[in-house]
Amino acid sequence: MKKKSSIFASQKVIVLLVVIVLFAFFSIVSENFRQYSTIMSILDYSYYIVLMSIGVTFPLITGGVDLSIGTGLICYSLAGGYLITQKGWPVAAGLIVTLLIGIIIGTVNGVLVAVMELPPFLTTLCTCMITRGLGSIFSKGFGISWPAAGSEGGWFRNIFKITTASGTKLPIGFLWMILIVIVMAFVLNHTKMGRYTIAIGSNKEATRLSGVNVKFYHIMAYVISGFFAALAAVAYSAVFATVQPGTGAGFELEAIGGAIIGGVSASGGVGSVEGSLIGVFVICLLKTGLPYIGLQANWQQIITGLVLIGAVMVDIIKKKKAEVH
Amino acid sequence: MGEVILTMKDIDKSFPGVHALDHVNFEVRRGEVHALMGENGAGKSTLMKVLTGIYTKDSGTITYEGKDIEFHNTREAQDAGVVIVHQELNMLGHLTVAQNIFIGREFKKGIKIDDKKMNEEAKKLFDRLHIDIDPTETMADLTVGKQQMCEIAKAISHEAKVIIFDEPSAALTEAEIEELFKIIRDLREQDLGIVYISHRMDEIKVITDRVTVMRDGTYVGTLITNECTKDDIINMMVGRVIYEDPKTQSMVPADAPVVLKVDHLNAGRMVQDVSFELRKGEILGFSGLMGAGRTETARAIFGADPKESGDIYINGEKVTINSPQDAVKHGIGYLSEDRKRYGIVVQKTVAENSTMACLENYTKGLFIDKKAEKKVSEEYVESLATKTPSVDQLVVNLSGGNQQKVVIAKWLINDCDILIFDEPTRGIDVGAKNEIYKLMNKLASEGKSIIMISSEMTEILRMSDRIVVMCEGRKTGEVRIEEATQEVIMNMATREIG
Amino acid sequence: MEKIKQNPIVKKVGFNRIVLCCVLVLMYILFSVTAKGFAGLPRILSALNYVYFLGFLSLGVTFVIATGGIDFSIGPVMFCAALISGYCLTSYGLPTALCLVISILVGFLFGCFNGYLVAYWTVPPFIVSMASMNIAKGLASVFTKTQSVSWPQAADAAGWFRKLVKVGNFPVGLVIFLAAAIICSLLLNNTRAGRYILSLGSNKEAVRLSGVDVKKWEMLAYVICGTLVGIAAIFFVGAYTTVQPGYGDQYNNEAIAGCVMGGTSMAGGLASIGGTVIGVFIISLLQEGILALGINKNYQLIITGLIVIVAVYADVVARRRKN
Repeated sequence: MKKKSSIFASQKVIVLLVVIVLFAFFSIVSENFRQYSTIMSILDYSYYIVLMSIGVTFPLITGGVDLSIGTGLICYSLAGGYLITQKGWPVAAGLIVTLLIGIIIGTVNGVLVAVMELPPFLTTLCTCMITRGLGSIFSKGFGISWPAAGSEGGWFRNIFKITTASGTKLPIGFLWMILIVIVMAFVLNHTKMGRYTIAIGSNKEATRLSGVNVKFYHIMAYVISGFFAALAAVAYSAVFATVQPGTGAGFELEAIGGAIIGGVSASGGVGSVEGSLIGVFVICLLKTGLPYIGLQANWQQIITGLVLIGAVMVDIIKKKKAEVH
Repeated sequence: MGEVILTMKDIDKSFPGVHALDHVNFEVRRGEVHALMGENGAGKSTLMKVLTGIYTKDSGTITYEGKDIEFHNTREAQDAGVVIVHQELNMLGHLTVAQNIFIGREFKKGIKIDDKKMNEEAKKLFDRLHIDIDPTETMADLTVGKQQMCEIAKAISHEAKVIIFDEPSAALTEAEIEELFKIIRDLREQDLGIVYISHRMDEIKVITDRVTVMRDGTYVGTLITNECTKDDIINMMVGRVIYEDPKTQSMVPADAPVVLKVDHLNAGRMVQDVSFELRKGEILGFSGLMGAGRTETARAIFGADPKESGDIYINGEKVTINSPQDAVKHGIGYLSEDRKRYGIVVQKTVAENSTMACLENYTKGLFIDKKAEKKVSEEYVESLATKTPSVDQLVVNLSGGNQQKVVIAKWLINDCDILIFDEPTRGIDVGAKNEIYKLMNKLASEGKSIIMISSEMTEILRMSDRIVVMCEGRKTGEVRIEEATQEVIMNMATREIG
Repeated sequence: MEKIKQNPIVKKVGFNRIVLCCVLVLMYILFSVTAKGFAGLPRILSALNYVYFLGFLSLGVTFVIATGGIDFSIGPVMFCAALISGYCLTSYGLPTALCLVISILVGFLFGCFNGYLVAYWTVPPFIVSMASMNIAKGLASVFTKTQSVSWPQAADAAGWFRKLVKVGNFPVGLVIFLAAAIICSLLLNNTRAGRYILSLGSNKEAVRLSGVDVKKWEMLAYVICGTLVGIAAIFFVGAYTTVQPGYGDQYNNEAIAGCVMGGTSMAGGLASIGGTVIGVFIISLLQEGILALGINKNYQLIITGLIVIVAVYADVVARRRKN
């Protein structure tokens, strides 16, 4: 008897191989690439994208999308950072506000999509613009630097990276990522939340007729996305020195692209958190690796776009083949 | 057969313009399989929908386990133990079998869904049914037959006492049907009441204990299956007096030129080795029961769905039709049974819809020649007697019959010589029906050739010059109108070809 | 109210559009009263600069939305076209006319790319948009080596293209834009292309079963959109001179806002070029007003976002009521 979920199990494996091949390729071609510091910087870059990607996996599985995560991240970070640096709030309080705003924006998205039945991509495109505006308004248009590592209040940066007594930097953020992926994989695969997320993406009407509170779980998918965008905001603030208003557009592509490369179906119903994690690393490797082989970093944008289209095409071809059988 | 578990008495239900159920009686006993039969539109599904709370009855009583009862939705019916296994499966393809069966009422261990327990429970259900399905398999990976078994398992998991099977065998293979019957017999052993809706006469004889026949929304009678013959049942199904005059004789000469020849057409399960000819000026009726493969045949000929093999000849010449574009180029027009989805563009006007198939003939240079467009659509509004305030009216505002005429106009304006009418009068009131009939006769007399797919026996007998009958994706007979009677056709339509 | 709606003139022009015109006039009065020196030619000319490029974007995306699709790569593609052609002009010294053609060509090619993927490959439009948005940004950055590009001033010999926007104080651009709108309106309402685009947006399967090559026409909508985006790029640099790589997405929302405000339905099948034009005027006036009032321009992002949500919700409600 055929074992379950054969299709996307294999996609995860293939993508993992791609990650390994890419890593090996860059390491062989460029000596500078195979440095501890490079690996550190790849990881630093990856945290916020991984977090966004984990979150956006949920709306994607319902058959929707959340485009507001990129500018949202910046907005949440600016709001929290403003309170800490300008209003003297304790860092912990700033972090809580950051997460709270993320949840609020996520809820707004969820209500607009699930209750008012607006098209998800357009709705979240609007909240994308709105959060960009809000971010700039919070920060009065200036960049905001969260407290530096080592300074008072800089403790939160150690969540992602600690420097040992001997001066080596340890990427403990990566451990957090693994932990969060395990938790969210559990949520997706073993709780009602996850089960109904998949069910909504698979057949919303049948799910409703089975007596499931579809609206609630549909909203929750966007709340999860918003919350993880806010977690990503924390990671971003911790890794980078300064947060600039007006940026953030394009982050969502890396996160959504990662999820889709990792096996989330653009038409919903299929996806896994661990797949999204692996998919993101394809993008992060390209982003970090391309300059080492003499290509401008901007090639990464082009290649990401093409890889995204390619991943969706593979999905479409697979589906067409399945239809024939 | 045990005591009566469910009685429906004097059930009456009307929809605007249709008296769908006219004082219908029906009962189910514990431990029996009770067939519910009737032609399409006889009211079987409506009756079952009234039972399971999808429709509310206008009058009558439902007694279940000795109590008068009325369910307000399927959920209530389910909780009480009355469950329907639908023809179209309500499944979540991305989830596993067990996850599907228990969707909405998962077992939990803390916040964790207890998949292990669900798998075990599902396994128990399958064991009870003697089916071999792995509960951890993904639903979409199963065959249709297995998916159906899962639906049955889901039904039973609701502690069902009455299970309604709505054409369960329609999509199953022979072997799967065998398995299904085994399950049904098991359920009967376990003293459940089973309602079995099907068109297949042979199945009825094999599996059921009693047969209730409905016709035109009325209750005709109930027979003990063992004590009646197939002909008895057919007679009860078709025993209506035909008010409209059936055609007695075809005016089409037997040697009229063949305009369309379909040779060994294959397209999936529903179109297997179909061959027939269509002559000039002829109305060729396509009869058969629901799911006989008539629409699929038409769509394959028209290029709307891909075909696997077979040749099509138009006026003796072999043609390739791979898309509707090809078909339209060769002068074939197709009126779908589902106008709203496949026929008209509701947000466009009558004129715009009329020229949809041949807009290139109504352009002047770059632009659409709106005057010419208006003129031609007005002509056809007049000649087809379409009731519309003007050709600038949006089609959405027209009645069903008039929408149908707009679709016909579309094909006539394109000068199509071969017209496929798929259930042309479905959902159209009686007066408009007659007009469509008159129109079809007029078109045929003008030399157009028409294939008319219809599930209404009266329509077939009244309109056709010749009748092709299909069953289970195969052509099971062909008869000239002179020899055609309801019984002859119904026999062919229920004939199994081994 | 009903009486007004039934008036033949109102019916002809469209009730929605009349309301929009009133909104436009009221907005102008409001800004003139509240912002000092708002009334007067300079502000109007400045608002018009915004109208031109946004108008072309909006006209383009109207065709795509009419098919029931979406394209939010238009802003970045416009920038990409302006950057690539501008770089050709300033760094390679190609003649201005050729560079304008290149700009349109870039837009056209993006339109082909998007349309092909959506129509022939059935890739969801939002995925295609997202991919092209980044490809456009990346391509522009790579091509210009991440440098901003400044197009020549009117005084330069190569700056003649600015006459397309403005000669003295005469807004040539407005004339061109309105002419383009009329052409688009004719295209949408009086040609086979437009008829099929609208029809397939409403019921693709019925159109296919009428023997129409729906894939071709669906792709064409994206190609028209791309071409208009290429033209938008010309008017952008004609008015604003400098383009920076990596930007452009803020205009997506404004263009889509103009379009849906004007009565084009996100579900496809219903589109109004006239409505889009008025919508674009409103958005541009809003932008100018916010500028004049000295309000943080970020409020405009928020307001536009809210406008789109409200307009789309109104459409959803209207459709629900019909069914």
